[in-house]
Amino acid sequence: MSYAYLFKYIIIGDTGVGKSCLLLQFTDKRFQPVHDLTIGVEFGARMITIDGKQIKLQIWDTAGQEAFRSITRSYYRGAAGALLVYDITRRETFNHLTTWLEDARQHSNSNMVIMLIGNKSDLESRREVKKEEGEAFAREHGLVFMETSAKTAANVEEAFINTAKEIYEKIQEGVFDINNEANGIKIGPQHSPTNPSLPGAGGQGSSQGGSCC
Amino acid sequence: MAFLEWRKFNFFDLKANVDDGRIASLYKECDITVATSGNNQAVLGDSCGQIHIITRFWQVTTFRAYEFKVSLAKQLRSSPLLVTVGDDDVGINPLIKVWNTTRFDKNGIPYCCRVSRAIPGVNPVAVTTLCVHEELQLMAIGFMDGSLNLYRGEITRDRGSKQKVFRVASCAITGLAFQALGPAVFLFVATESSVYMYNITHKDKEHKISLDNMGCAKNCSVLAVYENLFMIGRNNAIYCYTIDGKGPCYAVDGEKVLLEWFRNYLVIVSTTNRPITQAVAGSSSQPTSQGHLITVLDIHNKFIVFSSVMEKVRTVFSEWGSFYIIDYNNNVYHLDEKDLQSKLALLFKKNLYDLAIRIAKSQQYDSYGLVDIYRQYGDHLYAKGGYEAAIEQYIKTIGRLEPSYVIRKFLDSQHIEYLTTYLQALHKQGQAPEDHTTLLLNCYTKLNNTDSLKEFILTKDNDLDFDVEIAIKVCRYGSPEEALMLAKKHAKHDWYIKIQIEDHEKYIEALQYISRLDFQNAENFMKKYGNILIEKEPHESTQFLKRLCTNYRPVDKTDGILNGITELNQNADAEDYIHLFLNNSERLVEFLEYLISEGCVLSSPVYDTLIEHYLHVWSALEAGPEKAKYTQKILKLLQTLEVKYDKPQALVVCHMHGFSEGIFYLYEEQKLYPQILRYHVSKGDESAVLACCRRFGHQEPSLWVQALWSCVRESNSPLIDILPEILTVIAKERLLSPQQVIEAIGIAKSDVTLGHIRSYITNELQKEHDIIENNTELIDKYQTDIEKLKQQVETLKNGVVVIQGSRCAACHHQLELPSLHFLCQHSFHHHCFQSFAENENECPACLPENKKLIELLKSREYNKDLHETFHSQLEKASDGFSLAAEYFGRSVFNKITVITDDETEKILSRAKKYDGYNQYNVLKAGNRIEESAKSNYGPSAEARIRLSENIRNTPKIISTSEGKMRLQEHQYSQSLEANITKYGTRGSSSKKSESDSQVIGKNPFEDDYDDSKNPFTDDEFDETNPFSDQYDKNLNPFEP
Repeated sequence: MSYAYLFKYIIIGDTGVGKSCLLLQFTDKRFQPVHDLTIGVEFGARMITIDGKQIKLQIWDTAGQEAFRSITRSYYRGAAGALLVYDITRRETFNHLTTWLEDARQHSNSNMVIMLIGNKSDLESRREVKKEEGEAFAREHGLVFMETSAKTAANVEEAFINTAKEIYEKIQEGVFDINNEANGIKIGPQHSPTNPSLPGAGGQGSSQGGSCC
Repeated sequence: MAFLEWRKFNFFDLKANVDDGRIASLYKECDITVATSGNNQAVLGDSCGQIHIITRFWQVTTFRAYEFKVSLAKQLRSSPLLVTVGDDDVGINPLIKVWNTTRFDKNGIPYCCRVSRAIPGVNPVAVTTLCVHEELQLMAIGFMDGSLNLYRGEITRDRGSKQKVFRVASCAITGLAFQALGPAVFLFVATESSVYMYNITHKDKEHKISLDNMGCAKNCSVLAVYENLFMIGRNNAIYCYTIDGKGPCYAVDGEKVLLEWFRNYLVIVSTTNRPITQAVAGSSSQPTSQGHLITVLDIHNKFIVFSSVMEKVRTVFSEWGSFYIIDYNNNVYHLDEKDLQSKLALLFKKNLYDLAIRIAKSQQYDSYGLVDIYRQYGDHLYAKGGYEAAIEQYIKTIGRLEPSYVIRKFLDSQHIEYLTTYLQALHKQGQAPEDHTTLLLNCYTKLNNTDSLKEFILTKDNDLDFDVEIAIKVCRYGSPEEALMLAKKHAKHDWYIKIQIEDHEKYIEALQYISRLDFQNAENFMKKYGNILIEKEPHESTQFLKRLCTNYRPVDKTDGILNGITELNQNADAEDYIHLFLNNSERLVEFLEYLISEGCVLSSPVYDTLIEHYLHVWSALEAGPEKAKYTQKILKLLQTLEVKYDKPQALVVCHMHGFSEGIFYLYEEQKLYPQILRYHVSKGDESAVLACCRRFGHQEPSLWVQALWSCVRESNSPLIDILPEILTVIAKERLLSPQQVIEAIGIAKSDVTLGHIRSYITNELQKEHDIIENNTELIDKYQTDIEKLKQQVETLKNGVVVIQGSRCAACHHQLELPSLHFLCQHSFHHHCFQSFAENENECPACLPENKKLIELLKSREYNKDLHETFHSQLEKASDGFSLAAEYFGRSVFNKITVITDDETEKILSRAKKYDGYNQYNVLKAGNRIEESAKSNYGPSAEARIRLSENIRNTPKIISTSEGKMRLQEHQYSQSLEANITKYGTRGSSSKKSESDSQVIGKNPFEDDYDDSKNPFTDDEFDETNPFSDQYDKNLNPFEP
């Protein structure tokens, strides 16, 4: 399927906060209550439409385990957006946000859009982190905030799409260098501008990328 | 970090020494350098420059390809071509050779189609990797110095092949892979420190994209068939790349030695510190501490499907659907995948049913097998008490597994909720037979879950997959409301009405429902349930029936009015509903009256019923205005012409109820006057009897006779008082002969006194007396007539006829000679006669008259032979005697002959005979009649009749009543006899006159003869007295 842009996302956060479930809900629209640990980095993709343009989202769902940190770090680079996820029923996941954020800022490009997600909003009775706290944290660090539930699919679409919108706006503002693929943005085959800065890009851009994977 | 791994299973068996050591025997002094496979063969290259081609049955073909060493080899998957890179000389000078392994030269060496140098620029560099595109158009070779040679064009040919050199990196290239995606072709390049992708779709426009800045060791990259990932094995994980960049990453620890893709699995060979498992080591003689870990990943399902430590691995290849591993000792191991059944069994043993299902699905396991897994999973969950989850699994088995298997498990009342879920699913898939519907509905009702029930019933609208009737039947007991709703929704009128009537006893609702149905249904249901409806709701039901039978149109059907013109008005047959009003005469009467007032054409049974019920009501009423009203009503109905009731039945009904007005009317209608009379007689109502007789007497005179009989028959009859009047009428109308009257009274049982009949008898006797006197007078007159005639005859015979005519009968002038004179006293001038007469023998004046007579006689003669007609008429005739008499009157029994002059003599003689014959015959007939009369009446009666015979001589034939006729018959016969004798004498007297030549001028037969008194003359006979005429014309002796 052809697309105008390809945005690469990364989902980070402590283990068990529901990263994989968010992805599964977003890509497959289903919820799996029992989920195996993510070993390494998993991968999903979905097409969305923003401003009338088809945008392909490629999402890396990383393992939250400390042991895989070295692997996941290599994925920061090349991501245009990040979903930083914590579990509203487990305060320690909220407490670790700072570490994650530092990690992300350190390894990603500076323009990466980071969205703060308080997941498991359906478990209101077991809530440990107030929504206000999340909002305050996001304000403090310049993030977009949202509470979601991968189980009920509440705000899941919005979380991904709002991030995409923000990236899209940044592109329109010219903040992103869309020709540097390390930024996690790729121009689709039909939108590829003739770019002399790339070696051999010339006029064959149209064939570049082919279809999706 | 072992816990941070995918789930581990053992889906493979590692079998050692599958080749019986044949491979090992090949490599006694040199080492395997490269292994490749494809096109149904495995190819091994060694350090001596030899190439071994191995078949499936481990037969080895060896040839020398290079002088020194084979460093790289690639057997194409679907082509016999084998590409090798090796050295023919000492030092670095790699040569590419392309072999066709199906064509052999005389030495048994495959045909080498191409030999070319592999050199990335000016100086030769050692090659590291070789990659050939399956379409035989692209080939890439990587070098130690990070250069890459890309060859375009037919790889079998040196010429035409274009070579292009890329400087990829500064370190050695370790992996190459072509990937074609539609028209686009990409080349993944892995070096020791980075990963790149080249878009090589277009020649000379190759485009390099950096994918990662980490690389991998030689042999540690592979192109996975799964999602077209290029996989790189690094120490901490397997990284995957897509053409868009980085892909997923699987954390698998250990220093990777070798990566290979086999079916859906990624085979990883990595170093390990773990000791070699003895079992797997198999034939290995010397267990070494340093082994290799073989890990097989199922990328799709994210399992480790095999993991084992074994001897150091030299190389691997996959061919013939299997995976082979060759270790450093040149032992060949076969990594054999277990079949699906044993895999599943393994999972079942661990109760990992969901995994089993995933695996089964990914391997396209057939649906039966899957269902079996679901069932096992369900069973497992059930056993553990996870009923809800179990049901979830069982639901997946719907369509394959017999539902009763599941249902039986959940029949416990505590599981009814799960059962309901299952049954719901069953219905959703349209797999539920009616029993299951019943069960489900029962479950709903048992759970008291009316909402679900309602929902079930309602949502089933689209996919109507349950038997509505069953549903209704079940609901009817559990939740009648739903049943009702269901019935209404699915137009199961019968059920709806049945429930309303039988369960809810809401007759009005039922009736309203029926009234909304179309005609056919309404009619049927009314027939079916009318009984009970009328019983319970007589008024409404009757109203409805009225509509049904007159001009039915469903209520709430506005469109019906719109196209009402085209629609025929449908009327039910009222007859079908009458029985419904079994015990409700009033309603029935109301119903039928309405119908009649609507002008319906009804069948006669309907009218009969109406009459019957009218009478029923009538008889139930007390005497009074109401009753009178009913009387009027009934009579009006009876009198209405178009009412086609069955009269006899109406009569019976009237009798039953004693409805005399009706009875009379019907009798009258049917002309059964005697019945009316009898009725009155039985009532003893003399005035009514009399009135009846007077009223109908003119139509049926026998009524009087009947009245008479009824008067006298019984003793103490009250009717005795009207006897005189009856007798008067009888006498007046001559209905009975006095004899009979007397006889009747004589045998009467009632006390008829003479006083009652005195006046009658006196009158009768007076009358008789008068008649006798009349007749005596007539007799006297006839006798004098006869005497006169006798005298005339005598005169004609013996006397002289004086012809005194002085005038001509033709011209009325004075007679002059010559003249002609006829005995008939006519005289003519001779010339007058000649000009006037047709026949000179006859008197022209009398001729027309005579001619007429002759013709008449002739016709008589013609008619008289019709014996057969006579007989048939006699048989048919009610009054045989009068017929015979008529014939007699026509002289059928007489032989009448027209007598001409020359036959005169003959006739005369014949006439004598004829007379006798005639007499005889008539006498005979008379006797016969007498005889029959004797049998009819007693001798006393005969005697009495004989008495009257002379008195009553007037031969007047009155064809009235039979009885009267009989009487006359007798009398008549007697008188006949008497007259014949008279006739006979008269005949003989005419005989005399015939022979006489002298005739008196006066016609003796015309003058005094009283026609009316002659019994043998009827009207036509009157003026043509045969005797006079015959005599006149034939026997004139003076005729010239």
